[in-house]
Amino acid sequence: MSASQATTKVASAPASPLTARIATEFAEAQATGGPSRQSALRALLEQGLPTSRDENWKYVNLRPLEKVRFVPPSASGPPRPAISVGDLPAAVGKSRYVYVDGVFDTSLSTPTALPGVTVATWAAAGEVRASVLPGVANAAGAKAVAVTGSAAAHDSALHGDLRFALLNEAFATDGAQIHVARGTDCAICVELVFIATTDAKAGASYPRINFKVDANARVGLIERHISIGSDANFINCAVDVEVARDASVQHYRVQQTGARALWFDTLTAKLAENAKYQVHMVNLGALSARSTVHVKHLGERAEVGVFGASVGGKNQVHDTFALVEHIAPNARTDQSFRGIAGGRSRIAFNGMVVVRKGAHGTDSSQSLRGLLAGTDAEIDVRPQLEIYTDDVKCNHGATAGKLDDNMLFYLLSRGLDRDTALRLLKWAFLEDVVSKIAVPELRQQIEESLASRLEAPLPKGAPHAAYGQAGDGFPRVDGEPAKPAQKENF
Amino acid sequence: MLKIDNLHVAVGDNKVLNGLTLEIPTGEVHAIMGPNGSGKSTLAHVLAGRPGYTVTAGSVTLDGKDLLGLEPEERAHEGVFLGFQYPVEIPGVNNVYLLKAAFNAARKHRGLPEVDAFEFLTLVREKMKLMKMDESFLSRGVNEGFSGGEKKRNEILQMLVLEPKLAVLDETDSGLDIDALKVVSNGVNTLRSPDRSVVLVTHYQRLLDYVVPDHVHVLVRGKIARSGDKNLALELEKRGYDWVTDEAA
Repeated sequence: MSASQATTKVASAPASPLTARIATEFAEAQATGGPSRQSALRALLEQGLPTSRDENWKYVNLRPLEKVRFVPPSASGPPRPAISVGDLPAAVGKSRYVYVDGVFDTSLSTPTALPGVTVATWAAAGEVRASVLPGVANAAGAKAVAVTGSAAAHDSALHGDLRFALLNEAFATDGAQIHVARGTDCAICVELVFIATTDAKAGASYPRINFKVDANARVGLIERHISIGSDANFINCAVDVEVARDASVQHYRVQQTGARALWFDTLTAKLAENAKYQVHMVNLGALSARSTVHVKHLGERAEVGVFGASVGGKNQVHDTFALVEHIAPNARTDQSFRGIAGGRSRIAFNGMVVVRKGAHGTDSSQSLRGLLAGTDAEIDVRPQLEIYTDDVKCNHGATAGKLDDNMLFYLLSRGLDRDTALRLLKWAFLEDVVSKIAVPELRQQIEESLASRLEAPLPKGAPHAAYGQAGDGFPRVDGEPAKPAQKENF
Repeated sequence: MLKIDNLHVAVGDNKVLNGLTLEIPTGEVHAIMGPNGSGKSTLAHVLAGRPGYTVTAGSVTLDGKDLLGLEPEERAHEGVFLGFQYPVEIPGVNNVYLLKAAFNAARKHRGLPEVDAFEFLTLVREKMKLMKMDESFLSRGVNEGFSGGEKKRNEILQMLVLEPKLAVLDETDSGLDIDALKVVSNGVNTLRSPDRSVVLVTHYQRLLDYVVPDHVHVLVRGKIARSGDKNLALELEKRGYDWVTDEAA
């Protein structure tokens, strides 16, 4: 499909004050502009950013965008906090790359050469920049519109959900381009830390990852988002993942940005034949966090796991829209989400599975569960299925409710005090998803963060760690080796 | 001593217990029998403090301490243990974690230091042997995917670990095959001591062959209709509940 055809499918957004301002700011920041930026901006101006009137955007508050300055912060802007390595979470993985407001920071990073793994920042990559718009190899010219439009070939409402990636494409000044060569085995491999330090009024942060995994490789990627300082950051992250045939990827994403941060995120992934991709998304931070995920099963027997855990309090909003598209036959999807909404927070997970014509033998399951832990909290879990072929197996389940009174009474009757019992049940609620984190150090860090989010530490030992496993607070059994809590599915 | 005096309990508008009076001296095992709907399970739940029951009159004391004013966890700290008829599954919380948290909560209440993991495991292993439970039970979610018999064994294991002053076992025998019944009974008998009382709520006489009660009470329409020794249970087994029900009418 050509670019012109694509654009006719998309309802053109009227020029809004917001897009007009984006255009002005873009013109100011043109020093590093290239053709892919220009075309991304054009597409953005044509389509506008999503609004709360868009069906898939109704849960997230988009009004704060009006106060954002979209260009990355400049050296002449307000002073930013000094950062030392000690301010960062303990490193997990063999090689760490740290980005401050979207730009690679050598002094905070500890890159290590790993066989088969190339990590390039833009400075290293020169002008050869991978696009974060799905399908564009080296973003060139008008392709951006054509490619975003190709999703529109199936359904024009879907492609519009990726519009925040256009904003990233237009403004980002650095990124991580990760290439994993054929056959590489690097289970806990690269760790990326994106730090936001700037107030939205002074500039935006654009974390950006291109992650390309060649055939037969087996690799793990850890991606963290944090804030330093107490400014109200605007972060707009874009990630593009390609998994080649027979490759296997574990992708851990932990969002712990500051209490005033606005975090937008767009992740696209393409899976080739027999490729396996598991993305674990832990959302704890931000005032408002929105993730848009779009996974395409392009090859037969591809497998994806989209696992989300979200804990919100006060007036936080966590909203995830996760679309998995079955294009090739016999592929599998597992979507599991657990969200706990405390205080006046709102947690939404909109999980959509689309089975295209010809994608017979699709096997998909969705288990989306929300727990209301605050009197004014809100949970919106929504499994959606669109099936255009026969011979598929699609299960879905969604629940939103309060803690089970029978479970609570059972624990109380055993003498646990009420606070401990409630925390334990919240903890247990997240277990299905958290137990899938197969990197023990990372899982422990996440469990500690969760415990502190559940308001007070739990009694010693992890309540759901398999007994006999590191971190469970129990000694090893007669020298038997510790068993992994959860075997990897692949 | 557990003292229940003129206890009236309603669930919504439904009066379930209607002036129940019962004394269980320390060191004794009492069986509470009765037909369906007579109030047996309600009594068990009210003793443990389950929400949803309204006490409209009467009192319950354990060694002189008013139980009805206490929260469920406070009753547990005072030594009350309820063995559930339908033990609750709690996926995500493993068995050994709950056992240890419960054990240490009780110790904390008594002003004792927490036991360390090693010491605790030694204790639990010994009790598990008695209950013929495999060590793999420890790492499983609380009652998660357990068979009916495994759940009941797990209840008794918890009881053995917590060593309550008053154990109220609500139809612990239901759903057990004969081997499991023996194991569970053996567990209960181990706990018999001059320091504690046991209330066995049961439909059938069968359990009482293995855990021989000091007294048997028949509950009819929320009141004790008849009390006796273990022979009363045998008589009920032969004649059914009707004759007691008729007498009580």
